[in-house]
Amino acid sequence: MSDALSGARSATRTALLTVRLLDEGRVTGPVADTSLLDQLRALDDAERALTTLVPPDAASSEDRTTGLDAVGPATDAVVAAREWVAARAGGDLDGAPGLPPSDAALVADLEAATAQLDDALAEAGGP
Amino acid sequence: MKRLAGAALGILTAIGGFVDIGDLVTNAVVGSRFGMSLAWVVVLGVVGICLFASMAGRVTAVSGRATFEIVRERLGPRAGGANLVASFAVTLLTLTAEIGGIALALHLASSVEPRLWIPVAGLAVWLVLWRAKFTIMENVAGLMGLLLVGFAVALFLLGPDWGELMRQAVPPSPPGTEHPATYWYYAVALFGAAMTPYEVFFFSSGGVEEKWTARDLTTNRINVLIGFPLGGTLSLAIAACAAVVFLPMGIEVSSLSQVVLPVAQAGGVLLLAVVILGIVAATFGAALETALSTGYSLAQYLGWSWGKFRRPARAARFHLTMIVAVLVGVGILMTSVDPIMVTEMSVVFSAVALPLTYVPILVVANDPEYMGDRVNGRFLNALGSVYLVIVVAAAAAAIPLMIATGAGS
Repeated sequence: MSDALSGARSATRTALLTVRLLDEGRVTGPVADTSLLDQLRALDDAERALTTLVPPDAASSEDRTTGLDAVGPATDAVVAAREWVAARAGGDLDGAPGLPPSDAALVADLEAATAQLDDALAEAGGP
Repeated sequence: MKRLAGAALGILTAIGGFVDIGDLVTNAVVGSRFGMSLAWVVVLGVVGICLFASMAGRVTAVSGRATFEIVRERLGPRAGGANLVASFAVTLLTLTAEIGGIALALHLASSVEPRLWIPVAGLAVWLVLWRAKFTIMENVAGLMGLLLVGFAVALFLLGPDWGELMRQAVPPSPPGTEHPATYWYYAVALFGAAMTPYEVFFFSSGGVEEKWTARDLTTNRINVLIGFPLGGTLSLAIAACAAVVFLPMGIEVSSLSQVVLPVAQAGGVLLLAVVILGIVAATFGAALETALSTGYSLAQYLGWSWGKFRRPARAARFHLTMIVAVLVGVGILMTSVDPIMVTEMSVVFSAVALPLTYVPILVVANDPEYMGDRVNGRFLNALGSVYLVIVVAAAAAAIPLMIATGAGS
């Protein structure tokens, strides 16, 4: 369980780094988009690992539920980040429901998702 | 200056061995998870490949023949056949990974799905193999691959704490967060990648393509002493970039797109563009190298006419082998298999195949019938024997470690 949560946390932190680099103009749109796509795959792997796990006891079951609760918002935040990248690249996304209202809101969402994953990982006994 | 320019063969060979798609990702994975604590493996690999590539090059320069031809003749078809099967299988796996690597690098540059790039990459590799001269191919691919020096530039721009990087490297030990078995799995993978068998076959066959004679022994030394240490340095720079940026953030690298983020952080879009171009060139060069190695090894074992210095019609089976190898690689990739997983497997299996490659080279380099008075000296034989022990240990440990650690996960 901690491996899956550790992978999810790593993916969210990478997404946060990618967004910051794009915001500073240090990375191109295609590289940012590819990076976020790769992180979505990593989050998908983490979610699959958690959903297919058979918990051996009640404590593990609770940890799994907490973990899944943390991976969901992280995935949403990275999906929103991809829309933000597409909008910056000139995509016609005005008023799209998944588009973050501002750059700061996107960063805040990613930071909150990372913090939630940190807590879930600590609960599961991870590093 | 002309001799330095003649180092292109060594540079191309080393780029295939040290910074192809598998190494790019593996080095960054190692840096992000273990810091510089596995730097010693790269140094060990550089010394080992310099030792055996120089022997293979000397065999070619003195005898005028490629190593594989002599191994087949000196050790017989059975021992030569075992060598062929092991190295051919690993090389085909690596070729598959490299074609996938070209597609991943182009995906990074364009956002266009890698599966659309795979047939384009395969076609481009074949066209160059078919039409380009060997010297043009090695000069362009080898020298363009040098753009990966952007990783070293990025490392300096990141302004790391050099003392901390040294503390991670010396004395080497796994971080507390990682299991020792995982540490040793990556040590074997890095060693297998550095000493992958096709490097020596490509290097010695390249010597024949360039018509080396005994007068080219200095060229052989220059190729070995510039090319492989340069490849090792680039490899360490990639690991160090990951150690500086990702290790403190707790990010574990799992994709090519993550590998370039430290470069973007350090040097912005311009340096990023240089490095992406370098990745395309390095993976393309490695694909050419591995495709040629499939043709070289099979043709040399079976006694077919071979070489880029011959027109394709004069070496039809050699060219056909390469075409089939490229098609097999493209076919495997079109099943949506992950190219990075393929290459990670290939470096581990290459560790398994190492003894079958390096024992025969040591035997041939000591045979006065082929080498005259240019046989190995005592020092080279002693060092070669030490490396054979390491190679056998790595080969024996590779598969058990892969199983025990779930391929390092």
